[in-house]
Amino acid sequence: MSLIDLLRTALRSVSTNKLRAILTMLGVVIGVASVIAMLALGNGARAAVEATFQSLGANQIQIGQRFAMEDGELQPTGKTLTFADGLEMLSTVPLVERVEMSVSKTVKARFGKNTVEINTIGTTADAIDGIVSSGDVQPVGWNGDASFSAQDLLGDGRFFSSDEVYAGAPVCVLGYQTALDLFSGDNPIGETIWVDRTRCEVIGVITELESTDVQNRYRSDPNEGLLMPISTVIQTLYDDEPSVYMVVHVKNANRIDEAKEQITSYLRQRHQIEQNADGNYQDDFDMTTRNDILGQQQEAARTFSLLLAAMATVSLVVGGIGIMNVMMVSVTERTREIGVRLAVGAKQRDIVSQFLLESIFISASGGLAGIVLGILAIPLAAALNQGVALLYPGSVPLAFGVAVLIGIVFGLYPALRAARLDPIEALRYE
Amino acid sequence: MSEPVIRTEKLTRAYSMGASVITALREADLTVHPGEFIALMGASGSGKSTLLNLLGLLDRATSGEYLLEGTPVSSLRRDELADLRGRRIGFIFQNFNLLPRLAAWENVALPLAYRKGEFGVQDQLSRARETLSRVQLEHRAEHNPMELSGGERQRVAIARALITQPAVILADEPTGNLDSKTGIEIMHLLKELNEEGRTIIIVTHDLNVARNASRIYHMLDGVLNESEWAHVAN
Repeated sequence: MSLIDLLRTALRSVSTNKLRAILTMLGVVIGVASVIAMLALGNGARAAVEATFQSLGANQIQIGQRFAMEDGELQPTGKTLTFADGLEMLSTVPLVERVEMSVSKTVKARFGKNTVEINTIGTTADAIDGIVSSGDVQPVGWNGDASFSAQDLLGDGRFFSSDEVYAGAPVCVLGYQTALDLFSGDNPIGETIWVDRTRCEVIGVITELESTDVQNRYRSDPNEGLLMPISTVIQTLYDDEPSVYMVVHVKNANRIDEAKEQITSYLRQRHQIEQNADGNYQDDFDMTTRNDILGQQQEAARTFSLLLAAMATVSLVVGGIGIMNVMMVSVTERTREIGVRLAVGAKQRDIVSQFLLESIFISASGGLAGIVLGILAIPLAAALNQGVALLYPGSVPLAFGVAVLIGIVFGLYPALRAARLDPIEALRYE
Repeated sequence: MSEPVIRTEKLTRAYSMGASVITALREADLTVHPGEFIALMGASGSGKSTLLNLLGLLDRATSGEYLLEGTPVSSLRRDELADLRGRRIGFIFQNFNLLPRLAAWENVALPLAYRKGEFGVQDQLSRARETLSRVQLEHRAEHNPMELSGGERQRVAIARALITQPAVILADEPTGNLDSKTGIEIMHLLKELNEEGRTIIIVTHDLNVARNASRIYHMLDGVLNESEWAHVAN
């Protein structure tokens, strides 16, 4: 029988028992939807990690003071991670090449009659290079493919130097919007503004920036804020020594784990952290590398994926058995029809094809419905997983293939049974 | 004389039932020439269905030989038998055996559909329509069997048996499920077809039906005998 004839036969047979076919499909629908959602979670985790790769280089370690839940609130633990800790780390830990440090504080900035409440970030002198290399922002209208330099960001001003950072110089660099708010369009360079109760000289204005990630643009305005040497911020804007956030650059990315150990023992020594009775250390700092983020993301995604994989397997097997069951019933119901077909010249493979195609038709339809359901369920999976889920394009053909395979595997036995019927018995069947 | 359509020699079919063996057909010798109209009579259980199944290639003989248009069939594989059956044999059943989900023309075209690559859908349709017009049912081509009367159904079934231009048409009690008036019409049609040259073997226990045949065979306990009776009846 030609494929068109076979397809017509299968379609007609399924459509005469629509409800039965739809109920039979359910298992496959759920199974396939689970496969889609499962792969979307894995893919989302991968995408999230890739996004993190951009901001955190392979040779970088983030260090911050450890926070713990206390009385229902997140509280810093142990000793403050200080600016001095960072400076000393640079000079004593062999694998450390560079330490970027920052603190941030909300301040009132004033020039003349204009006052704005903004975020001040105290940084080291290489922060401007950090902005360039992060890839998070670009000058407005910049061609995304071309690279830009620190000077491209600063126009006719300049950023503060390492010497100014060491000296705690009273200088600052303004964000584009903040400069507009304070100076109403006049040139701010060389002017002195008040930052809380500290005077500081404006030495540069960062050009207008936009987020490179279009979807991110509404979230935060990179043009509001001001940058000052970290030492200046610590000395003049804080009463007590604040905790700093560090990004440590390691000399060799391959030795990053070794560097972590060196930094850990250095900080334990500096913060006088002793082994407790159980042989553990109560560290008061947290270190994060790209691999750590990768591990966390994958861990979360893996647990949930495993659950979905189990669900997919169970649904697909149950769905397959359902198809097999319905096909057995169908073969029995149509025994006489099979006899007639054999009598008019149908070969065994014609009968096998007919029933196999019917079960594939059911499972493939279930597969298509499952793909749609799975895509619709992706946001739900993401929410339950508290993570990201992103449709993995390859999962669509894969899931469809699985559905077809289910139809073949579970349809084969009923189809073979149909084909092996004795034509005489089949014709006589009531 | 031309080559016989059907020739059987000592055709035997035995079934084993546990320890005992039941011989449903015993050394039947039958020769049917083109254009003949044979009636096969006998009580139920006499073996006529067994013989018909063997002639229709639906069953295999235990011993003896059967030549269909000169071809010995005992050595053919199942699919070869199916192919030969589809091309050279037309079946007409007592209960019509039409497929309920198919339109009349699709039922008629079914034997063509199983000849891989030989007939496209359009080809099937036009041939089915032609054949339906031979049984005066062209106007019912799109109807489902459920929408047809008994006589119409049997005419659709006859068209299905005719469409392949088979060597022989095997009719198993074709009027058994019809009222007598319709039965007579169907017999008329079969007789017409025979006069056009179709070879027909009909199983019946209705003497009025058998009367249309050129020769009548009787079956009794698995033994086939030609009856002189037909000549008397005619």
